[in-house]
Amino acid sequence: MKVHNAEKTCWNCPAAILKGNIDFRACGQSLEAIRKRIETEGLMIECARQPDLGRFEPTITFEECPEWRLTEYGYLLENMKVMILGIDGYLGWTLALKLASLGCEVSGVDNFTRRRCVEERRSLSVVPIASMDERLEAAREILGVEINFREIDILDWQRLGRFMREVEPEAIVHYGEIPSAPYSMIDCDHAVHVQYNNVIGTLRLLFLMREIVPEASLIKLGTLGEYGSPLTGRPLFEGMFPADAVLLWGGRKWSLGGELTPRDPVSFYHVSKVQDTFNIYEACKYWWLRSYDIMQGVIYGVHTDQVAADPRLRTRLDVDEWFGTVVNRFVAQAILGMPLTVYGEGNQIRGFIALEDAMECMTRLISSPPEPGQYDVVNQVSGLYKINDLAETVATVASEKFDIEVKIQRVENPRVEADVHPFEVVSENLPNLFGFRPKVTLEEEITRMFELLTQPHIRERLRKVAHLVKPRTWWSGEKRLVETIEVYAPGTKRPSGYRPVLITGKELEVPISTPIREEIEVPLNDPPREKVKKNDADR
Amino acid sequence: MMLTDRNFKREVLESDLPVFVEFWGSWCPPCQRMKEIIKKLEEEYKGRMKIGELNIDRNPLAALRYHIKGVPAYIIFYNGKIVHRDIAAKSLDQLREMIEESLNKISKMETLEQTV
Repeated sequence: MKVHNAEKTCWNCPAAILKGNIDFRACGQSLEAIRKRIETEGLMIECARQPDLGRFEPTITFEECPEWRLTEYGYLLENMKVMILGIDGYLGWTLALKLASLGCEVSGVDNFTRRRCVEERRSLSVVPIASMDERLEAAREILGVEINFREIDILDWQRLGRFMREVEPEAIVHYGEIPSAPYSMIDCDHAVHVQYNNVIGTLRLLFLMREIVPEASLIKLGTLGEYGSPLTGRPLFEGMFPADAVLLWGGRKWSLGGELTPRDPVSFYHVSKVQDTFNIYEACKYWWLRSYDIMQGVIYGVHTDQVAADPRLRTRLDVDEWFGTVVNRFVAQAILGMPLTVYGEGNQIRGFIALEDAMECMTRLISSPPEPGQYDVVNQVSGLYKINDLAETVATVASEKFDIEVKIQRVENPRVEADVHPFEVVSENLPNLFGFRPKVTLEEEITRMFELLTQPHIRERLRKVAHLVKPRTWWSGEKRLVETIEVYAPGTKRPSGYRPVLITGKELEVPISTPIREEIEVPLNDPPREKVKKNDADR
Repeated sequence: MMLTDRNFKREVLESDLPVFVEFWGSWCPPCQRMKEIIKKLEEEYKGRMKIGELNIDRNPLAALRYHIKGVPAYIIFYNGKIVHRDIAAKSLDQLREMIEESLNKISKMETLEQTV
C-alpha cells in the first residue's frame, strides 16, 4: 500500500512556482489573459529547486520526484526549509529538534515572550531550560544539527520579513502565540496583550507570506477550545461541516458542506485563536495561501527522543495555574504531596495529546502540504478524557509505580464553563489522510513525567512554584484562591457525567455521547469525606 | 474518475453513458468536503452513469468552455450535450435526486427520439 502522500503532486509542493504561471484570481490575471498560452502550450510551471527543468506540466508525484524522499512520516521534501515562529517554546523547541534531526533546514524566531510571561507571574519552568545560545550549541554537539535562530518579535514585521526573504521557508509553523486561557483572564492588560500579540502577529504574518513565500504552507496552531463544548451535543467536526450535514428550515434543505462550524471560545485567549482562524481562512481565499489550522487538544508530557538526549535540550514544563496544562499540573501536585485539584464537578471532557504524538502529527502535516488556496483543519487529539478520570489515572500511576499516595480535591471552578456536558470530537483527517496513529498512551507519558519530575533538582524547583498551582484567577475578575469543596481518595467515586466519543473512522454508525444514566438515577452512596478547612488541602 | 482538459472529449463528450462532472477548486472548502460523496456516487452508479471530477485550475480550458464561475458546480452530460447543471455543496441525497431526475429526463428523451 502506498504511503499517504505518495500521489500528491507539484500542486502540493512548495517548490512549484505557480505565481505567474497559473491563474491567480486575486493577482490581476484572468483566465482569458492566459487562455492563448494554455491553448498552445498547456498548463506549465517551474520548479524553484530544479530550475534546469524549465517549464513543465505539474503532474510529477512525490513518489516520482527526486526532491522528495521516503521517511517514516511519508515523503518529505529533501532538506525542507521550515521556519518555526515561537521556536523557544514548549512545542517550538521540541519540534525544531525533531525536524532538524530528520534533515530539515530549520530556522526559527522568538522574542522570549513566554519566558517573560512566566517570570512576570513569579513562576518558572520546573524542567530547567538552557538559554537559546546553549540550546543551539547542544543541538550542534549532541544531535549534529544546525538551527538558524533569530531573536525577533513577530509583531516586528520588517525584521521578520527580512528574515523570511533570507531563508525563503517552504513551510512555516506558527507557534508564536501566548498560549494561556487563565493568563488572558487576569485583567484587561493581559487580555489585550494576548489578543494583540496573537491576532495582530498572525495577521502580519499572513501579509508577509503573501509577499514573500506565497507557495509555502502555514501550519498554524489553534486549539480545540475554539469550538467550546456545545450543549447540543453535536460533534465537533474538523473546522467545517461535512457535505452530509444538512440545514432544514421552512421545509427546505441545504448542505452545510464546507461552511465553518460555529465557534464558542471559552476565554479571551481562545477568542484570539478564533480570530486567527478567520484571518487565515480569508487569506487562503483571497491570495491562494495554503494552511492547516490545527485544533490541538490539551497537550501534556515531556518526552521526545531529541529533548531527552541531553539536559540542555530539554523543553520547558510549566505547572503553574496560568501555563501548566492539567495533566502536567496533576503530576506536579502528586510529587509535591498535594491533592490533585479538579475544578467543579470534574466531569468536563477535553481532548488530549501527548507531546511526542503532537510532534509526529506536526511532522506529517509539514510533509504533506495543502494545495494552493486550501484552508483545512485537523482536530489533533489522541484521546478524550474527563478531568476526574485524568486525576484517577495520575493517582494510580503515582501509587503503583512510584509509591506516592495522593488524594484528589474538588475545588470551586474559577472558569465559566459547563461542568457536565456531552462531548464528541471528529478526528478523521490525521489518521485517514496523514497516516497518523497515536504511539503514546496516557499512562506511559505520565510515567515518563514522574521519572523526570521526581529527580531531586526538579523536585526542588517544584517546591518553589507549589503555591502557584491552585488557581486564583477567576473568569469573573475576582482574585482569590479557590476553596476546596471536598477531598477524597482515588477510586472511591463512581463515574458520572457523559461518555466522551472520539470519531476517527468513517463508521456508518457512531456511538453517541450519552449521560451515564445509572449514576444520575441512583443516589450516590459517597464514601465518607474528609472534613476540609478552607484552603487547607494544599498545606 | 479524474477528468482533465486532455481526456474530457473522450471520457465525457464521447461517452456512451451519461456523465456527471463535478467542477472543483483546491481553494474551495465545500469542494473539499464533497470528495467523499463523489467517491460514494462513483461506486453507486457504476454502469448507469459515469461520475467524474475536474479541477478547474489544473484544467482551465474545460472551465472556460463551460463558463464555470463558481464551484462546486455540477454538469450532467449525455451524448455531448448538457442535460442539467447546478452549483453549491450538496448532500449525498441531494446529488442522488439530481442524478435520478437527469436519468429520467434522458430516458424520456430517448423514448421521444425513438417515437419520432
